[in-house]
Amino acid sequence: METVENGDSSTQASVQGITVHDFSEKILEQLVHFHVMKLSGGFFLWIGSGPVLSNLAVSIGSKYDSTPLSTLVLGDTSDTTPSALAQRLTKKTKKQVFVSYNLPMTNSNLALLVEDRIKKEMELHPDKF
Amino acid sequence: MAPQPVIRSRQMEKAINGIPTQVVCTEFSNYIFIVLTQYGKIGTLVSITPDTRSGDISVPMFTTKVLLGKDEPLTHVYAKNVTTFVSQESGNRPVLLGLSLKDNSAATMKTVKDMIKGCQVW
Repeated sequence: METVENGDSSTQASVQGITVHDFSEKILEQLVHFHVMKLSGGFFLWIGSGPVLSNLAVSIGSKYDSTPLSTLVLGDTSDTTPSALAQRLTKKTKKQVFVSYNLPMTNSNLALLVEDRIKKEMELHPDKF
Repeated sequence: MAPQPVIRSRQMEKAINGIPTQVVCTEFSNYIFIVLTQYGKIGTLVSITPDTRSGDISVPMFTTKVLLGKDEPLTHVYAKNVTTFVSQESGNRPVLLGLSLKDNSAATMKTVKDMIKGCQVW
């Protein structure tokens, strides 16, 4: 048995092992943390400034529609930010995406910049998603 | 340069009866998130919540709910079996469990529990 502390565990020998990737960025004077768990055929992405998990959305591509299917499985359903973000990330990656968005939902400008930061990380480290 | 990650996670991989099995535990302030898989996926997502009640009975009760995936009785039994100790040890935090196993035998469950213990983040 081998345990790996978090950080970049991609070096662990495994064919399709789960890998974890963390990064942070100061966006609009706020330090935003990102935590990505790469899974087989998808990934889990947590976004927040503190270690809270207040919602979880999931999205998958649809055979019948170019728009991916998305739903909130945990949290307040009146907040559409997590499921909308998951949907757009599925559209971009064609993968199953789990998103937990733990920043103020009222700031749509922040959400936009956060999304840009995720896309930038995807370009920098495509193997982590 | 890069700040320390705000959330902690630990993972482990082990072959059980020849099947590669992975456990990833992630700590949040209000949840412990555990991925338990032989497919590399989250699979069925279950929440395990301790019931908040001020009783004099020391045995806590847990509510399990399938948030995503097939809602089978065995899923609830399995989820309770492998995660109640996590909730108890982490100050009665609810647990979010991603469960996707090829082998649901009792013997495997015991090994899997040991793996979760080995990935303690709480």
